[in-house]
Amino acid sequence: MSKDTHTMPETRSWREIPQEVRPRAMSREGRRRLAMGVTRAILGVLAAGTVAWGAWEMAAVLRENPDSMPSAAKSDRVRRLVLVTDGVLDQNWLARTLAIPQDATLMGLDLNELRLRVLADAQVSSAAIARNFPDRLTVRISERSPVARLMAQAAGGTPAMLLVSRDGVAFAGKGFDPAMEATLPWLDGVRLVRSGGSFVPIGGMRAVSDLLGAAKLEAENLYRSWQVISMARLASDGEIEVRTRDGMRVVFGTREDYLRQIARLDLLVDDSTDPTRPLREVNLALGSQVPVAYGKAAPALSEPPVNTAVAPGSSNPVIAFPAFSSLRADTHREL
Amino acid sequence: MSSKTTFIGAVEIGTSKITALVGEYTGREIAIIGCGESTSRGVIKGSVVDFRAATECTHNALEIAERDANERIDHVYLAQTGGHLEGFYNEASVNVKAADNMIEMDDIRTVCDLAKAKDLPLGRMVVHNIRRPFRVDGRLVPTSPENLVGQKLEVGYWTVHGQEQRLADNIHVIRGFNLEVRELVLSSLASGHMVTSMEERQNGVLAIDIGAGTTDYVLYRNGAPHTTGVLAVGGAHFTNDLSIGLRLTEGQAEKLKLRFGRAVSQARDKGEKVWLDGNFAIGDRQFSRHAIESVTAARAWELLDVVKRRLGHAFSPEACAGGVVLTGGAAKMPALVECASKVFGTSARLGEAPTWVNENLRDPGYHTALGILYYGVSSLSDNAAATRRKGGFLHNVSRLFAPT
Repeated sequence: MSKDTHTMPETRSWREIPQEVRPRAMSREGRRRLAMGVTRAILGVLAAGTVAWGAWEMAAVLRENPDSMPSAAKSDRVRRLVLVTDGVLDQNWLARTLAIPQDATLMGLDLNELRLRVLADAQVSSAAIARNFPDRLTVRISERSPVARLMAQAAGGTPAMLLVSRDGVAFAGKGFDPAMEATLPWLDGVRLVRSGGSFVPIGGMRAVSDLLGAAKLEAENLYRSWQVISMARLASDGEIEVRTRDGMRVVFGTREDYLRQIARLDLLVDDSTDPTRPLREVNLALGSQVPVAYGKAAPALSEPPVNTAVAPGSSNPVIAFPAFSSLRADTHREL
Repeated sequence: MSSKTTFIGAVEIGTSKITALVGEYTGREIAIIGCGESTSRGVIKGSVVDFRAATECTHNALEIAERDANERIDHVYLAQTGGHLEGFYNEASVNVKAADNMIEMDDIRTVCDLAKAKDLPLGRMVVHNIRRPFRVDGRLVPTSPENLVGQKLEVGYWTVHGQEQRLADNIHVIRGFNLEVRELVLSSLASGHMVTSMEERQNGVLAIDIGAGTTDYVLYRNGAPHTTGVLAVGGAHFTNDLSIGLRLTEGQAEKLKLRFGRAVSQARDKGEKVWLDGNFAIGDRQFSRHAIESVTAARAWELLDVVKRRLGHAFSPEACAGGVVLTGGAAKMPALVECASKVFGTSARLGEAPTWVNENLRDPGYHTALGILYYGVSSLSDNAAATRRKGGFLHNVSRLFAPT
């Protein structure tokens, strides 16, 4: 028996029932699902279209003018160096430091090596270098700010002035205003140790920086007179010695708040109005007890000191306790 | 086997409640991850009579199920029931073409097409074609007869068909949720498959799913469905009878049915009374327990007897060693098992879901939805296997040399 499909009756299955339903006949959730489905379909078509268009455009570019593509391998040579800094270094310094050959291409540069070159200058604390196609190299740096200066002399060399930053890094300051440099106090009692092309950071510089910062902010008249900051006894005794331009020695202790010590010094300086008894030594490192020593006045102007205790046969000032009878109370009131 | 996870929805639009289950099918196994249930409105005897109300309830159940599963259903397998569903048996036979009498795939296809080809009345559509085992020269072949030797190949199909409009209504309820109906599954096949074992189906078993509005039954023989049917009578008719007989509202009758209804009358004392509410409030009344049991027992007997008569010669206790298995919400009525045993003259039991089913879904009311899910997974597995077979390397190579 063979099959004859023409004589077989056509049985209708439930699958012939159309499943399309008008959105109006749908429930709210059904319509929401339909809308989401349509949205997904549209987004899918758009995404596929975008990809196809992109591929077509790329094919056209490759076919007609491949050189117009900003290919990384075919990047132009470096035409512009851009320096973004928070300090004083300039474009010339950057060009000198990077020393990029004339025909170097942007992609041919080793950014890591260039960054190391920039960081080799101790004046730079951090650096980031970025390529900006087609021909620009951008260097972003952060510079160290000097808080003091010191004079260094290599064996057999000429003395050279170095600036010292808050983190103790000594560097040859470039581009700073000489007038600003002249206002910085000198550091004394410091031993510089070479490490490669630079120096090992000076230890304890943070304490000195805090003192200088507090003085500059709160008593600028005092700060301006400070000439030398000695760190000789910083590590051993926790004392910072300041020598002023008029020959006074002030000892600050690192264990007590600098503001309090500066306030006491300011009070002493204000009270010391007698030109015949200038202040010669003030030790603020002993807490509320402040030993002071008065010196002699200049010979032309001086008169024999009245209250200063002078050791027989000695011209050196002697420490006298207390400098003022009311110092302790006043100090407490002031601070 | 697909590696993509599919979220299958199984929906049963019943007369008293609508159940939706969500199954996560990974290609290897299925996990039931969501369940939604809603009181049914707009459905009478398994057919949608109020589209808006039925849609609202069904969508509510689907939303709950999706929320419970926290996933969106991809497509739905929908249970189909109702008095409009009918079945008939048609068989065909072919002489084996090959000279050596070896049955080829072409012979099988021809005989199957012939057996399924039958004109239906106007407005009727096929829901299921259930194949019975092949016979080769009168010898029963439960699996494929390909490569067997014989002169005559026979096969028969039990074809279930329904009214086009009612089928369309059910489908459109689901489509209103913007979900595709992947398959219509007879409720009786779904629940029958869940509550009977392979061995029982091989030995012959009758599964009866008594719902609120309809009673679906399927008779298995030789491991395959032999006859199915739907009666537009269910648990709601017990309530209706009580309501008329005792002059009660439907709510009161339902309450009495659930508390005192029995499928076999037990009360010997005709004077024994039971209270309607038992709270002595105004309107609380007493009824004869014997009267209540008589009504429900008569209806239960009648219902099962109609099933037996519908089955006719197809059912005989000797050919149904597995007995009768009852399921569905109304099957929980006390003594219904005893009643079924008496009516069919064979053993009977209450159907239970397989052990892997979660405790919350073991109630007889969920058996149909679980069966649909099982059916959906089986059809997905079959499709995947067919795709694998079609798309295999050897198949592709053979196509190169196939005559055009």
